[in-house]
Amino acid sequence: MTGTLAGKAAIAGIGATEFSKDSGRTELRLATEAVKAALDDAGLAPSDVDGMVTFTMDSNDEIEIARSVGIGELTFFSRIHHGGGAACGTVHQAAMAIATGVAEVVVCYRALNGRSWSRFGAGVQRRQPIPNADGVHYGWLVPFGLLTPAQWVAMFAQRYMHVYGASSVDLGAVAVADRRHAANNPSAWFYEQPITIEDHQASRWIVEPLHLLDCCQESDGAVAMVVTSVERARDLRQPAAVIAAAAQGAGPDQESMTSYYRDDMTGLPEMGVVARQLWAQSGLGPEDVRTAVLYDHFTPFVLVQLEEFGFCDRGEAKDFIAGGAIEIGGRLPVNTNGGQLGEAYVHGMNGISEGVRQVRGTSVNQVGGDGAVLVTAGTGVPTSGLILTSDN
Amino acid sequence: MSDALLDKLRGLVGKPAGPPFRAWDAVNQAMIRHWCDAVGDTNPIYTDPVEAAASVHGQIVAPPTMLQAWTMKGLVPPPSDGDGAQAELMALLDGAGFTSVVATNCEQEYTRYLHIGDELTAESVIEDVSPEKHTGLGDGHFITTRTDFRDQNGDTVGTMRFRILKFKPPEKQEKKVPRPAPPRNQDNAFFWEGVDRGELLIQRCSACGRLRHPPRPMCPNCQSLDWDTVKSTGRGEVFSFIIPHYPQVPFLDYPYVVAVVALEEGTRLISNVIDIDPHAVEIGMPVEVRFTKVDDELTLPLFAPVKA
Amino acid sequence: MKSLTYADVAEGDELPALDVPITRTAIVAGAIASRDYQDVHHDPELAKERGSKDVFMNILTTNGYVGRFVTDWAGPNAVLKKVAIRLGAPNYPGDTMRMTGRVTRKTDGEVEVALKGANSLGDHVTGTVTLVLPS
Repeated sequence: MTGTLAGKAAIAGIGATEFSKDSGRTELRLATEAVKAALDDAGLAPSDVDGMVTFTMDSNDEIEIARSVGIGELTFFSRIHHGGGAACGTVHQAAMAIATGVAEVVVCYRALNGRSWSRFGAGVQRRQPIPNADGVHYGWLVPFGLLTPAQWVAMFAQRYMHVYGASSVDLGAVAVADRRHAANNPSAWFYEQPITIEDHQASRWIVEPLHLLDCCQESDGAVAMVVTSVERARDLRQPAAVIAAAAQGAGPDQESMTSYYRDDMTGLPEMGVVARQLWAQSGLGPEDVRTAVLYDHFTPFVLVQLEEFGFCDRGEAKDFIAGGAIEIGGRLPVNTNGGQLGEAYVHGMNGISEGVRQVRGTSVNQVGGDGAVLVTAGTGVPTSGLILTSDN
Repeated sequence: MSDALLDKLRGLVGKPAGPPFRAWDAVNQAMIRHWCDAVGDTNPIYTDPVEAAASVHGQIVAPPTMLQAWTMKGLVPPPSDGDGAQAELMALLDGAGFTSVVATNCEQEYTRYLHIGDELTAESVIEDVSPEKHTGLGDGHFITTRTDFRDQNGDTVGTMRFRILKFKPPEKQEKKVPRPAPPRNQDNAFFWEGVDRGELLIQRCSACGRLRHPPRPMCPNCQSLDWDTVKSTGRGEVFSFIIPHYPQVPFLDYPYVVAVVALEEGTRLISNVIDIDPHAVEIGMPVEVRFTKVDDELTLPLFAPVKA
Repeated sequence: MKSLTYADVAEGDELPALDVPITRTAIVAGAIASRDYQDVHHDPELAKERGSKDVFMNILTTNGYVGRFVTDWAGPNAVLKKVAIRLGAPNYPGDTMRMTGRVTRKTDGEVEVALKGANSLGDHVTGTVTLVLPS
């Protein structure tokens, strides 16, 4: 490992609420439940916490949660923009705070009633036309009916499929793998509900070329995790999941979900920025990764991520994943919790929890061996990633 | 329209619309005052006992056009409200797709003016159901109900013939929700003002000549803040495209095509491809701009296939 | 308030026009005063969902304005015998309804007035009112 961040911090505790379509309680309450569960998992008290990180999109202020849970003084609090791109970024910032001595115990969290309070997938149709940079940005999309995350991703997917000859069936392989994994996961919304590629192909169009089963769910739920130094984590209740690398990345000519003006529209250069840093920090490469949690709000970007991280060459993900390679028993099982298509859409944070379980050896779809675990965050936006390893 | 439906509807003609309804309250000054205030009626015979006594009416009377108001069932209808031919008629028509309703005619005849304390009972009969008619609102049936209003002694005080149209809302409602207009500021107004004039403009760095879209205040190539514009030929090709189906918003017709169009000049922009079956659109297809007035306020640069 | 007598009116007489501002308040007050709680007469969101551009005046309120329009002219001693109306263009908030009328018949102590109320969309109401005036 190289640099000042690699191997300095660890995820010592994870917590979550149940995942549902109608939590029946406030986002603040979900957040507090998940934070308390993560602290209990680590064997830490609320008073041990001195840092908090979440998404700019989260509706729950750090201080509201701190007051509610009984967390006292905070020396570090931070928020990250760009939706699901923030997920691993929360842990990245926590690790930086710990590595620099700014904080000792940092809680990362995300809570949303993404189904019952609002329809997360509904997009920006009601956006107010204010002529600030944000309003002008959406002014290039909304009048033409380019409104939802599914539509933004579908525009990439169409180009990617055209350039590399990938098909809807290739995209469907991701959904089939996720749902197979979710079928074994009692916490998953789609527990015991695997699908076939025929189911995928028969599901209705949401936006051509994406079917319903290419799209993740809208979920209610919360996930939290506790990050501390590797040394302190060793004294706690759970085996440490060491943060061997953590990184954020934005690419050139980056937009949030609509980077359609780059020469090439088939890659995720921002994820390439993350990948280069993760490999450099950790001293690892694709061959060292035993399982990955690749952000899957929609299936197409799972293929592109495999390429950006070098698991296969550009345009060859469709061949890489063929024959169950990303399913349990395959060469790189992906999203062993069921992913956001199968478990829940908690903006990528539930994927980090699965990465921790894989390191601990407690996943419902445990992948053997002691190789590293890769976790990524939102795709199509400025994003982030982690490499987690066991402490030995 | 099946004859079977009309037969069923006609079978209800002559039947009581529902059980007789006795007004919740006797004719009273308070409701009269609400009514007069609402319609701005200052006729003293309704509210001024002295003037009313001096008039031909001899006492306070209710406005005659209030007749129906006395026996309106109100916010909390009686439990018997779903009984009778009226409910049956509505259910039959709802089931056949005639889901909307509008009142079209009302004829009231007054045997006498109503006095404070009068207790009214309304009894309604289905008087007529028309065959299906084509109307400006949509196709539907006119239903005529006749109501007799009786007082506490059983004497008729007035009658009413009330006609409604129960109709199918037209399949394609005229668009009532306009497309959201793009916000304009100092960075991008030139583009939309160009569109308003029928010109597709591309921002050009005055220093290095590089084109850029969407517009930005500074050239990312040479950091110059100076720029002008070039007029695009409006020709290009489909670089990528999608066909949205769900969720549906009211300002668009489905399915439609959103495309990233690569202009001949080298920049790209987001637009719609029109004048073509959405499923015939292909990447690489040549298209050209069509300045399209999408509603009274907004013109957008849309694209159509280049005619061979 | 002055009252007309039968002798005061002649066929062809014009009634003084009445401009009725169609405010939201007027629509909702009329609906509630007539105990008509249909959502299209007070809830703009639901009215839109049902395909209307906004809330609109209910027929009972229109009846009330028709009665007022005639007795504003005829006075307290007029006795209305019959009001027959037909509805057309809806009365939406922000519009103005101009009511106009004319005596069309005069027989056996009865006077018939033909009237209409027009807004910017067209004729909201057309109809006839039959009344008796003191001799």
